[in-house]
Amino acid sequence: MARFHDLEVTDVRKTIRDAVVVTLKPVNGAAEAFDFTQGQYLTFRRDFDGEELRRSYSICAGKDEGILQVGIKRVDGGAFSTWANTELKAGDTLQAMAPMGTFFTPLDGTAEKHYLGFAGGSGITPVLSILKTTLAEEPKSSFTLVYANKGVNTIMFREELEDLKNLYMGRFNVIHVLESDAQEIDLFTGLVTEEKCAQLFEHWIDIENVDTAFICGPEPMMLGIAAALRSAGLDDSQIKFELFASAQPGRAKRKAAATDAASSANQTKAAITLDGATQTIEMGKDMTLLDAALENAMDAPYACKAGVCSTCRCKVLEGEVEMVANHALEDYEVEKGYVLSCQAYPVTDNVVVDYDQ
Amino acid sequence: MSEEMSITSYLAQGGVLTNPSNVPPRYRAELMKLMATFVDSELAGAAGFADIINEGPGIKARIAAARIVLEKTDHAEKVLRIMGDFGADTERYADHHPWTARLEREADIGQSRTKHDMRLAVFNYPLEGWADAVVMNFLMGRAVVLQLEELSHVSYQPLAEAFRAILPVETRHAELAEEGLMVLVEAQGPDGLQELVDYWWPRVAASFGQEDSEKFEGLKAMGLRRTPNADLKARWQQDAADILDKAGLKPAA
Repeated sequence: MARFHDLEVTDVRKTIRDAVVVTLKPVNGAAEAFDFTQGQYLTFRRDFDGEELRRSYSICAGKDEGILQVGIKRVDGGAFSTWANTELKAGDTLQAMAPMGTFFTPLDGTAEKHYLGFAGGSGITPVLSILKTTLAEEPKSSFTLVYANKGVNTIMFREELEDLKNLYMGRFNVIHVLESDAQEIDLFTGLVTEEKCAQLFEHWIDIENVDTAFICGPEPMMLGIAAALRSAGLDDSQIKFELFASAQPGRAKRKAAATDAASSANQTKAAITLDGATQTIEMGKDMTLLDAALENAMDAPYACKAGVCSTCRCKVLEGEVEMVANHALEDYEVEKGYVLSCQAYPVTDNVVVDYDQ
Repeated sequence: MSEEMSITSYLAQGGVLTNPSNVPPRYRAELMKLMATFVDSELAGAAGFADIINEGPGIKARIAAARIVLEKTDHAEKVLRIMGDFGADTERYADHHPWTARLEREADIGQSRTKHDMRLAVFNYPLEGWADAVVMNFLMGRAVVLQLEELSHVSYQPLAEAFRAILPVETRHAELAEEGLMVLVEAQGPDGLQELVDYWWPRVAASFGQEDSEKFEGLKAMGLRRTPNADLKARWQQDAADILDKAGLKPAA
């Protein structure tokens, strides 16, 4: 089951107009849980108007820096990223799960490899973590970064990348490709497409000696780059992807609220068992069992809230509930009384459900 | 970099997903089922095989069997860990179920699963002794190698990586079973073994799923499948038949 830990915000710094770098410090002895690997991400949770949102952001710090930092770019209409960019400040507390993700390859201090990174916009965050860690831990390896942005003023970590170039002279190279700002070399203007990559591989990047390529950016860019890398002879095991889709899955609206909440016809008494403890709560029939449990501070399991992943499955022991969607449970499970609690509304005035069965 | 592309068309064009947060609901359901099928099959397969270890003729055979049990359990854990990323309670998952449970030897379940888990139907049949286990492990081992080659390309990167790490080890299991089969043929001749091949052949063939699976196109569009079930099965039939031939055995009629 997902476990969230408290993290103290020790610094919030703007990198460009609409992106911040947030420095975090695990508290209450959670430091060990946050011993991350380069390229991993954190999943945060926060309540917005009574609804919990979960959002994932990549760690941008290198392993050797001894700090925990994530980059958060504001997304239009994004509640969490807007809040982080406008209101989050040092001293606040955030809640996150331990680092997750497999966007990395194992490092070896004696290795002499060449790595190639592609980042689009805020996709730089995990790539930055990877390249900083790699350059520090593999003194004989080199790293080339192709970094795509709209224009000069939207380049996240521009100065930090310049500093790294000086620090790792001859081992680290950055090619900025800008969509709208003209550059001295035509090739470096426009989008990073399959064709653009093929051209870069002709003169600018020694593709034949690349051991591993990392790609993090928008979907079309990832497809184009991957196609170019495959044509250049890299196989799937040499290409590492990280994708954070801009379109986050939507949230199911509650069923139309009952007009007369005081009427017992719209109220249910629900006994909910979780981790061996049973709570009996009054809930509206316009609310899912999962939301009722969450609102009553029960740490009920859930993930997709879309009736799909089956993480929120519970068993109805008494009473009747109605599932509005079910993409996960098979008929036989439903026959046994299992429901997806995120999709289940009480029908009878009394229900007894158990998450432990 | 502001081009919009739906996850659906991204996947249809060969795109790769990398973490639970951008996995669409239907994809998630199919991915979870695919992972559960693998985990349950490995756990059930390892559990069934564990009982056979002591029947192995000699130390080497027992070591090979024990190793297969150990490694299949390890493979289950690798994939279960990815299910855990999606919120599955991995400890409860591994312990909640009697993985050694089997049906009757002659139960006629075709491709259906039992009511309790997602293991492939073939893992519901009981093993009856060492030779039986070797034959089953050989035929299913060849099938697993082909199925894992197919699944090493799934569009969920962490799972594709897990399957790529698992594939060479499972390939070795199939080789160990093949070696075991040859030892048996040498010792007792093909006669008694042919009966076992006849028993397991159709049951392993059924593990490739339905030939005209309507789901295939949907799974293909999600990047979760590439090769139709019928093609994979035909490859297995050829592959297994060639090796059986070397042992003086033949596929079930």
